[in-house]
Amino acid sequence: MENILELEQVSKTFPKSGFRLEKVSFALPYGGIMGFVGENGAGKTTTIGCILNTVTKDSGRVKLFGREMLDKDSDMREKIGVVYDGDNFPGYWSAGQLAKVMGGIYRNWDDELFGNYLKQFRLPAKQKIKHYSKGMTMKLAIGVALAHHPQLLILDEATSGLDPVMRDEMLDVFLDFVQQEDHGILLSSHITSDLEKIADYITFIHNGKLLLTASKNDLAYNYGVIRCRESQFLTLDPKDILVYRKRDFQTDVLVADGKKARKKYKDMVIDHVSVDEIMLLLVKGERV
Amino acid sequence: MSGLLKNNLYAAAANAKAFLGFMVLFGIFTAAVISQSLQIGYVLIGIIGFSASAAAVAKNEFTSKWGKYKLSLPVKRADIIKSLFLNQVIWLLAGSLLAGIELGLSWLLHGSLFDQPIDILSMFALGISMSFFMGAIFFPLLYAGGQERGEVFLMIALLCAFGIDFAIISMTNELLEPGIPCIVLGAAVLVGCSLLAFGLSYPLTIKIFSRKEY
Repeated sequence: MENILELEQVSKTFPKSGFRLEKVSFALPYGGIMGFVGENGAGKTTTIGCILNTVTKDSGRVKLFGREMLDKDSDMREKIGVVYDGDNFPGYWSAGQLAKVMGGIYRNWDDELFGNYLKQFRLPAKQKIKHYSKGMTMKLAIGVALAHHPQLLILDEATSGLDPVMRDEMLDVFLDFVQQEDHGILLSSHITSDLEKIADYITFIHNGKLLLTASKNDLAYNYGVIRCRESQFLTLDPKDILVYRKRDFQTDVLVADGKKARKKYKDMVIDHVSVDEIMLLLVKGERV
Repeated sequence: MSGLLKNNLYAAAANAKAFLGFMVLFGIFTAAVISQSLQIGYVLIGIIGFSASAAAVAKNEFTSKWGKYKLSLPVKRADIIKSLFLNQVIWLLAGSLLAGIELGLSWLLHGSLFDQPIDILSMFALGISMSFFMGAIFFPLLYAGGQERGEVFLMIALLCAFGIDFAIISMTNELLEPGIPCIVLGAAVLVGCSLLAFGLSYPLTIKIFSRKEY
């Protein structure tokens, strides 16, 4: 399967803060949505910076559409739509002025499509952006990211400022977008319910380190969490344990193969595991 | 490039609107009264003021994520810098035009307030030169030192431009015999040096910006 986005061993160190992104690797196939999960400061935005060249990586390779993107490759950036969390555009513009600027930058800028998004998202074209609510600015940024017919959307916490109804509407827009097989979305978020709804693949990052990257189906159907007592925990085969977290009366153990664990540990409760719980276990749990 | 220029024009216009209102009122007053000092002040404030508000565009872009967002657009970093330098020239011309209109209006009403028409040339040369020097110093300083110190850097750039220009004027006055050739040559040296600095500042700013991370 070909990948629209591929990261191989991408590393970046910020000497002042001491933060390190360590050998991050994952791949997003064409037609897929990758949920990029991690707590605040985990390294999601740094990774996106390395992808978009706003941050210079120390080592590793980032391939977009099968090749590395340099500053001179503006033709590649024609095919990418980006949304950052917060104010993407200056507040003194109106959406109409923004369209004029973007029309002069993107070869494939589609005024009609942008106008449709403004209507669909109920955004006034003449109002200054500084008078928009946070949700409105996010919707505007999503409209801009889509209005030049990109192939790849890179969304950094793009749904965080939206209310649940609007988030649902946006998720539908994203699902629509990936109906075309040559499209793809990288969606960083800590709202894991969004990712459970739309992501095909999920990558977990914590403290600059990639913890896990897997398909959502794999996580939903194969991964499991063993709920056991301390004495039962001691009988588990260490090879089966991805991470464990001791709580007051039980220990939760994340396993990659829930079916196998059910057969092997018949006296223990083994539940399906949500993305939220996987994240908590991976971040707060301990390794054997 | 046209999109980047529009972006800069909208941004500078947002800054310049209030300044333009003030300059129109100030211009009417300056044209109405007979004062050479006021006229010199108007010309210099007009040219330098518009240039400064255009330069401030680069600083304002980082009050939102737009400065970072632009790097994801299909433009090269060098194009972003080129558009800022072009924007600076456009607003310098706009300021010069406004100053010229006021001067023309005053001339129509009262005749020339200067001993020699050539003095007008040196006045414009000083304004243009200060604007170019200011831009030449401000842009690399801004990208090297960080946008959060934009106001300070703009002030430093203005003061440096002022100092450099007066150093050049002192030198030309010292070296050349007083008279029309001295004024013309002095004006040419002012504009020439500042243009050279502006031209050299452009690749330097690109070099600094190409290494910046956001």
